[in-house]
Amino acid sequence: MPSADHDRDHDTPSPLPENGMTKLTNCRLVRGDRLVWDDVWISSATGKILRSQATFYDELILPDKTIDLGGRIVSPGFIECQLNGAFGFNFSTLLDDEEQYGENVRQLNEKLIQTGVTSYIPTVTSQTADLYRKVLPHLGPSGGPRVAKDGAESLGAHVEGPFLNPGKNGVHNKQVLRQASSFADLEDMYGPTNINPATSNPMPIKILTAAPELGSMTQLIPELCTRGIVYSIGHSEATYEEASAAVAAGATMITHLFNAMRPLHHRNPGIFGVLGIAESLPRPFFGVIADGIHLHPTTVKIAWNAHPEGFILVTDAMHMAGLPDGTYPWTNGEGEFFITKKGAVLLLEGSDTIAGSSITLIDCVNNFLSWSGATIPQAIKAVTTTPAAMLHVQGIKGSLDAGADADLVILSEEKSEGRTTLVVDEVWKFGAKVFKRHAPPSV
Amino acid sequence: MRLIIRDDANASSSYVANYIIDRIKHFAPTPEYPFVLGLPTGSSPLGVYKNLVEKYKAGEISFENVVTFNMDEYIGIPRDHPESYHSFMWKHFFSHVNIHPNNVNILNGNAPDLEAECVEYEAKIKAVGGIDLFLAGIGEDGHIAFNEPGSSLASRTRVKTLAYDTILANSRFFDNDLDKVPKMALTVGVQTVLEAREVVVIILGARKALALQRCIEQGVNHMWTLSSLQLHPHPMIVCDEDATLELQVKTVKYFKSIEKVALAQGFQQVLPSKVRTGPPRPAAPEPQAVLAVEIQSSSPTIDSPQPTTSRLLQTTPATEYPVRSVSPDIDFIPDRMGSRIPELHLAPRLTPSPETQKQKQLATPAARVNAVGA
Repeated sequence: MPSADHDRDHDTPSPLPENGMTKLTNCRLVRGDRLVWDDVWISSATGKILRSQATFYDELILPDKTIDLGGRIVSPGFIECQLNGAFGFNFSTLLDDEEQYGENVRQLNEKLIQTGVTSYIPTVTSQTADLYRKVLPHLGPSGGPRVAKDGAESLGAHVEGPFLNPGKNGVHNKQVLRQASSFADLEDMYGPTNINPATSNPMPIKILTAAPELGSMTQLIPELCTRGIVYSIGHSEATYEEASAAVAAGATMITHLFNAMRPLHHRNPGIFGVLGIAESLPRPFFGVIADGIHLHPTTVKIAWNAHPEGFILVTDAMHMAGLPDGTYPWTNGEGEFFITKKGAVLLLEGSDTIAGSSITLIDCVNNFLSWSGATIPQAIKAVTTTPAAMLHVQGIKGSLDAGADADLVILSEEKSEGRTTLVVDEVWKFGAKVFKRHAPPSV
Repeated sequence: MRLIIRDDANASSSYVANYIIDRIKHFAPTPEYPFVLGLPTGSSPLGVYKNLVEKYKAGEISFENVVTFNMDEYIGIPRDHPESYHSFMWKHFFSHVNIHPNNVNILNGNAPDLEAECVEYEAKIKAVGGIDLFLAGIGEDGHIAFNEPGSSLASRTRVKTLAYDTILANSRFFDNDLDKVPKMALTVGVQTVLEAREVVVIILGARKALALQRCIEQGVNHMWTLSSLQLHPHPMIVCDEDATLELQVKTVKYFKSIEKVALAQGFQQVLPSKVRTGPPRPAAPEPQAVLAVEIQSSSPTIDSPQPTTSRLLQTTPATEYPVRSVSPDIDFIPDRMGSRIPELHLAPRLTPSPETQKQKQLATPAARVNAVGA
């Protein structure tokens, strides 16, 4: 049972000038596949995790504060790789007032961090060029100023479309789907400055999901890679051979594995087949929606067992995430729809079509924990170290090693009916505490 | 010599930790008069550190006003190498307690001028008033710090080449690759240790039994450098039963009986209060000036060694205290009931006692004789 005496933050008074350093002690750190009893020193001045021994011997200083976490778990801040919106704001909306769009993103960031997500990839579904050009500048990497109170940090945008296969459109608007035959087509769609590292710093786009079998997409992958964009296979009818060709060309990610792609067939394993290393190709990372609706628990477990190092938990949450149950208006640009939210389930009103999810990332972790038999550090890895590696920010995000950004989540374990549930108690961003769960009424 | 024997390693470690804590508490250190603690590395003191950390976390002891000096450090491996003694101390002790980094002293094995580093280290020890308690462990060959067999018993902080056995023993920490094991180290000297006001050595396990036997039952010998402890006024060895395997039954029984009797009398084998008490210390006039002279005249270096025996037999710690081990300053001698009764003012006897009378009679004629004789 968690109790209020978790909050034993006793501030050790220090006669020395404040240095912004905090020592978290009596805690278990998520390190690789293990929980390690160790302290972690963080600095709100640099926003980083300190090399405590060197700080002690070189700087000759001690932390301002020592916080006893009472044996709780310290995890790197979670990284969400596919978030369409939350708290009522949809990234794929065009507002009349561009100022308002930026304001909405800022508000979302402040709320999102309270769920343990300290950095994320805002995702824009298939849209027209007009919308991409307007919204992408607001969705690029936002951590530059390193301000803790800004909340969750964008690591760059994910453009999920519009170069998708109309046969696997999901809820994307078929009318806007396109094929690309040259890089100029991509520039025309997203806006040259949004996809060109030379003209914009930082460049907004981080992940691009496209069907490799359409147009010249597979030939464009190397060009995307040189620009630092992660090419992700998704919403695709690709055969195993086509998917393998994309991986060979530099695809390093699969967008929501199993959803919006051909299922595994024993004579053609499809996209899932590339996890089998049959062609001696490196295996890509892959996103998995563990909301209990998009995928069967066993399917999630099979995916994890196929390639645990590539396994990334994503929510694919819509803007209804964080809102109460009810019916909400939604448009994919094609027309006005209503989506009914009941718990984590989102359905197009009056149908059985799944319209994204509204789950939080910590719930995905908890689902995965209960379904798979994975250990806590293994489950946490799927939202920290693994996505950081996919996004080429390993050692900076998703890590508790010295030198990494001090984005932390403090978790307590609640055990009931033989099931362990992780609860986000505190969230730290750039070395400063930004969220603390209200202690539950004492039992 | 005090030899404390405990059943196992845990009990021994716990005894040493409690002893150190008692010493610090009794000393009541302040920023001006810190308690100066000498510290070892290695496997023997691990349990002591663990106990100290636990006691700190339980709020029983503060290391705020404790200054530490470590015994030794390898030369030529990075300071933050996992096997460096900086890392050892950080991992097992400093990171868990409230000791301030300014109060921590460890020899720098990467100093540009190693000789200067050694001289400065000795000077630093003197500047804080000497070491109050030096905790030590020993090697299987009886070495204390890196003062391996054959080290001068008058040695001071210096560069030391490691014995082949030590390099072999250490190779397990360096991927079993002899090439990776440091071949040299900086270490305090035997004399540096002996100059501490008190030396406490923890010796655990059967592998150390021979070393313990050599150091206690045999003479002072540079091949077993710990045996030099016999020349110290206040040494204490704490060991487990396994480490006594090579000792004579008589020796073990003797030391156990001493402890038993002392306990029965209501006191532990404590130090004289002058040694135990911390501030205020006798105000040393102009300590800096004195220091400069002392370093010049009495701190031997490799370049200017000094004769050994006179110093060893004096073993003068930094501040003056009685070399003779005095009785514990507690009132442990059972008093006679009579002494509690106030003195009675009885009237003197009216009749002088026969003895007095007789003496007077004897004295008087003699005086007369003398007078006549004169």
